[in-house]
Amino acid sequence: MAELSFTQEELDEIEKIKAKFPTVKAATLQVLWVAQRKYGHVEPEVQQLVAETLDLPAAHVHGVASFYTQYYKEEMGKFVLDVCTCLSCQLCGGYEILHHLEDELGIKAGETTDDGMFSIQEVECLGACGYAPMLQVTNGVYVNNLTEEKADELIKNLREGRMPEFESMQMPKLEKRNQAAS
Amino acid sequence: MPEVFIDGKRYEFEGDHMALQYMLDQGLEVPFFCYHPSMSIPANCRQCMVKAGQYMKNDETGEYELDEEGERKIRWFPKLQTSCALKLSDGMVIQTQETSDEAERAQKDTLEFILANHPLDCPICDQAGECPLQIQTYKYGPEGSRFEVKKVHKPKRVELGPRVTLDAERCINCTRCVRFTEEISESHQLTIVSRGDKNYPITAPSETFDDPYSLNTVDICPVGALTSTDFRFKARVWEMNQTPSIDISNGKGCNVDLWTRDNEVLRITPRQNDHVNDYWMPDESRNAYKLFNENRVSRPFIKLDGDNQSNSSWNNAIETFAEVLEANDSSDILLIGSPHASVEENYTFNKFFNLLGAPNARFATHIIDGYGDDFLITDDQAPNTSGCRLLNLDESSSSELKTAVSQAKVVITLGDDLIDRDVLSVSDLEDPYVVSLATNHNEMTKASDLVIPITCVAEHAASYVNIDGRIQRSFPAKETKYSNRRLNLEMSEGRLDRFGTNFDNWVNEDNKVDCLPVWEFLNKLAERLGLEFEYRHSREIMTEISEKLDTFADVSFERMDEEKGIQLPIKQSKVEQK
Repeated sequence: MAELSFTQEELDEIEKIKAKFPTVKAATLQVLWVAQRKYGHVEPEVQQLVAETLDLPAAHVHGVASFYTQYYKEEMGKFVLDVCTCLSCQLCGGYEILHHLEDELGIKAGETTDDGMFSIQEVECLGACGYAPMLQVTNGVYVNNLTEEKADELIKNLREGRMPEFESMQMPKLEKRNQAAS
Repeated sequence: MPEVFIDGKRYEFEGDHMALQYMLDQGLEVPFFCYHPSMSIPANCRQCMVKAGQYMKNDETGEYELDEEGERKIRWFPKLQTSCALKLSDGMVIQTQETSDEAERAQKDTLEFILANHPLDCPICDQAGECPLQIQTYKYGPEGSRFEVKKVHKPKRVELGPRVTLDAERCINCTRCVRFTEEISESHQLTIVSRGDKNYPITAPSETFDDPYSLNTVDICPVGALTSTDFRFKARVWEMNQTPSIDISNGKGCNVDLWTRDNEVLRITPRQNDHVNDYWMPDESRNAYKLFNENRVSRPFIKLDGDNQSNSSWNNAIETFAEVLEANDSSDILLIGSPHASVEENYTFNKFFNLLGAPNARFATHIIDGYGDDFLITDDQAPNTSGCRLLNLDESSSSELKTAVSQAKVVITLGDDLIDRDVLSVSDLEDPYVVSLATNHNEMTKASDLVIPITCVAEHAASYVNIDGRIQRSFPAKETKYSNRRLNLEMSEGRLDRFGTNFDNWVNEDNKVDCLPVWEFLNKLAERLGLEFEYRHSREIMTEISEKLDTFADVSFERMDEEKGIQLPIKQSKVEQK
């Protein structure tokens, strides 16, 4: 891999992040995000870059990066589909959605398509049991109440570069309370 | 004075104390894994749980509130507390596993939890016998496991660095090793990666664990997760003898334990001494054990024709030595003492030949500038430079020593490889008759006409003065041909020694070196020369030194044993340290 570095713009951003915290150590999480946004992953070289930029021990950055599954420790597809197969999703068809996506993209969970477009991951509960089954796109938007058609549409849209919109899902009670408040 | 009630007993205390350390100081027992007195307290093993509370006092009267039965009322903290992180306060009540079923149950549960994924490979694990987890499970643990699923297997035999091997599946994530690299050695090389039941300590992907103090993490690892690559599978602790001693590989004089079996030193570990090395020692000092076992001079060697050295009897060696001394004028004799030898050795060596009329012994320091760090590695490579200075040996530079050698007809040296460390060259020693009193074969013994084998630090009781002027002593840890573990009451006896015999198949007679303490050899030489010179123990020598030399006043083996060494009244700047 070519020599890695942050641009001046990114360095400025990192300075701003650092300024938010009493110690540099605390900035590790956010700076890892900056790095992952740039490179799409935080492989050991990227962790090294973060450590050098923040002047922290490489071991510390490695420990943080390996603790959180949201940091990708290897190269992933452009879109990472985290399909939840935990209890609620499982009961509502999470595995069907997962296997449908696997068939559709021709890869198994944990793999990346040859064109580097998609990765599929089977993940534990993402805290959206009310609208199961669901998946998350690259640590970002949730796609809820999935059906096979909705999944197909998602793939099509992503191929064309259209990220799904953020869906606001309100709990019935919350809706009531919000109405009362307004 | 503030008071605290532990298991129904009242204790008074002053100042700030953490409950666990305070209880340990009182000789009470509370099990723990992650706590270490020299490092920060993370309270993450949860093993030192106690039930704690506070006697209730009436705000107005200041009197203790009593219940119906006349007992003091206790307001318990809502949950059990980790005693390592619990600060003592006035009127605190603590119940340990001794009196509280709750605490006992919590410790049992913690152990069951820790053991859920911990392999039960004690029969092959290197830590067996000195493993707190093993001991505490035996004492406080559950009798069975409710976990029927397969254990999580983490990486095995990971070479973290040149000296440390990791068996991650044994790790209980106490983080002592990580804290050691962060707080003590400050190399920050280790971290805990991953999470939950998959986490374990390792270096960053691009780093190796080559910290010069890395093996200390092996000492403090409470389980067999971090092991010394060198010592793995060599011996069980219960087969070995543990003998207190002093590190002789540099000037700091770290307090160490020598672990021996069948007259071989198998490993060296640090021994706590707050005045010198706390709980730690450098990795390189641990390698010194090889010097005690390998390449030893056993039986005297003598050059007969040309450069051919051959074994000789002690009688022949003494006779030859005596003849050389008699044939030469005492002013033609050059004595070279050694900062690598003990105070007693240098003293008797110098005294003996002074009695014969030879001038005072010289010595050459073994200091490599810039070699040390600010911690336990020093520029000074010898354990007793200060000792030589305090005995008033003449400190000589390389060139001064070369001149002196060229003017002498007989050169007698004491346990110091002057050729290997470039003080003298082989050609310097061609003309005079060279006698070496040596522990190991080296360039110096090769160039000598007569080599007398002497005991090393692992074989004698002797004292060394470190760079800070602290005099500390060693105990004999391994037998020589002429010493006997069962007769020498200063030597420790291990299980194998106590219950084995000399005819057991693990006993190897070859591991006993045929050598004598310097003073014992000189006794024999004195007898031959008709000189009044006799010592029966190095203790006697130290007594004599303390009577004769003011700096050593009141120094005795007994005091050194009791006080873990004695600070001598000299300035620290005597040996230059950067």
